[in-house]
Amino acid sequence: MGVIQFKGVNKIFGPRETGFQALQDINMEIRDKEFVAIVGPSGCGKTTCLRMVAGFEPATDGVVTVDGTPIKRPGPDRAVVFQQFALFPWKSVYDNIDMGLRNLNVSRSERESRIADILNLMNLTQYAKHFPHQLSGGMQQRVAIARAYVLDPDVLLMDEPFGALDAQTRVVMQEELVRLARKNPRTVLFITHAVEEAVYLADRVAIMTRAPGRIKEVLDIASIRNAEDWDSHEKIEDVMDLESFVHLRTHIWRSLREEKAAQHA
Amino acid sequence: MPRRVSIGLITILVVCVIWYAVTTGLGLIPSGRFPSPAETWSAFIHVSGRGYGGGDLTLHVYNSLRLVVLGFLFAIATGVPLGLLMGWSRTAEALINPIFLIIRPIPPLAWIPLAILWLGLGDAAKMMVIWFSAFVPSVINTYAGVRNIDRPVIEAAYMLGMPKTRFVGEVLIPGASPMIFTGLRLSLQASWTTLVAAELVGAFYGIGRVLNVAQQDLYPGMILVGMIAVAILGWGTTRLLGVAEAYALRWNTAALAAKG
Ligand SMILES: Nc1ncnc2c1ncn2[C@@H]1O[C@H](COP(=O)(O)OP(=O)(O)OP(=O)(O)O)[C@@H](O)[C@H]1O
Ligand SMILES: [Mg+2]
Repeated sequence: MGVIQFKGVNKIFGPRETGFQALQDINMEIRDKEFVAIVGPSGCGKTTCLRMVAGFEPATDGVVTVDGTPIKRPGPDRAVVFQQFALFPWKSVYDNIDMGLRNLNVSRSERESRIADILNLMNLTQYAKHFPHQLSGGMQQRVAIARAYVLDPDVLLMDEPFGALDAQTRVVMQEELVRLARKNPRTVLFITHAVEEAVYLADRVAIMTRAPGRIKEVLDIASIRNAEDWDSHEKIEDVMDLESFVHLRTHIWRSLREEKAAQHA
Repeated sequence: MPRRVSIGLITILVVCVIWYAVTTGLGLIPSGRFPSPAETWSAFIHVSGRGYGGGDLTLHVYNSLRLVVLGFLFAIATGVPLGLLMGWSRTAEALINPIFLIIRPIPPLAWIPLAILWLGLGDAAKMMVIWFSAFVPSVINTYAGVRNIDRPVIEAAYMLGMPKTRFVGEVLIPGASPMIFTGLRLSLQASWTTLVAAELVGAFYGIGRVLNVAQQDLYPGMILVGMIAVAILGWGTTRLLGVAEAYALRWNTAALAAKG
């Protein structure tokens, strides 16, 4: 299970009166096995939302729950792909990916086969023994993704996971994520700056306002995806050409542009 | 032979030639002030064969080396864990830091009289002063190392559900290890400095003892032998530590190499 709920969440960094209000009155439910993407201007509080679900940041007001239980601390049931990778530099690629499984006391043979699978999926097999610093940024990001995927968590929290990838790898990873999400669906909270990526991947897209961040609108993508049968197209570029896709994308673009314009005004 | 090593050897050779020239060759420096190579060599034969200052060279070297190694290990075995604790727990830091603020400005050598008063001229007093001097840098650097660990990396460990015991061994210590090794190097240097000083003040054996007796005997050749012995031992132990560091931090040197 993995139902995430934000109920009347405010987040103020620092003292209540004088601190910085990052989030204001966030109310949102992410259903079990739903893929929700959050887009919004830089600094609007996307990462803060995700960190609250991860258990790194308490809400100032309101409550964030998973399956009805308020979140108290981080744990491997909510795997995070960090914006800055946050790999253990002193551990090899293999050992980085192995860490969570060891903590969960998974048997050695199962760990080995799961890690072999994920290394293969991420095209990292020949780098298993490398240290993170010996890899390019995009490869490090793939390790960070592998480290989260391998746990097979109820909830997957991804903070701009494809940000450091080159365009080709990015597309491969997106298609892979869609394939994975259809085959083995789980609750995903996905942050991105790339509007196309959000529309392509998500069941719903939440658009946030500039700081203090609020949920401006939530778009239902899944119903349109199903109605227009996007999944019959194998390639991402074919989906992106569809009129229904372009329509959604343009809508989100406009909405974001409004926020950015207001920010600079 | 690597280029660096051969250049180093040439430099040493040139220094020796100049040394010979200004003492024996040209007689610019009288042998009462600074010994010639021949005098130094004969002092070396003297202390290695018949012995000097209560024992032969092997005995002195053995004693000094043993005390440094034991004192150093004792200091880091206590200093590194304390540094980890202070780096990790604000409460521990608040409790312990005031003591450091008082003790730190006292030069380690100033503890020597007290140590000899308490523990006499034997090994125990030397261990104590080495501990005092080597303990502080290992604590401070370990502490700073823990504080320098990337916050997201610690969060990743939490996210992965890492139990406390594993966290210390697999995140805290390796994360702080670049700074820990800086501390160890400073500790090792401090160990040699204080040991030789303590032996100068009072000892039955050891290189400091050789230096002290040679000074009283007005024996420059022997003084130089003592100095060279300390230099070689200091270099050797630092080198060993360097090898351990290079191995333990190979993930980090990889980073340096990648950055060019
Ligand atoms: N620990 C903190 N203390 C004070 N302010 C913070 C803290 N963390 C975040 N903020 C502020 O809260 C706001 C939201 O930050 P957040 O990282 O959530 O933004 P974001 O939407 O993820 O931005 P980006 O798209 O650039 O990653 C920012 O203005 C940031 O400066
Ligand atoms: Mg962010």
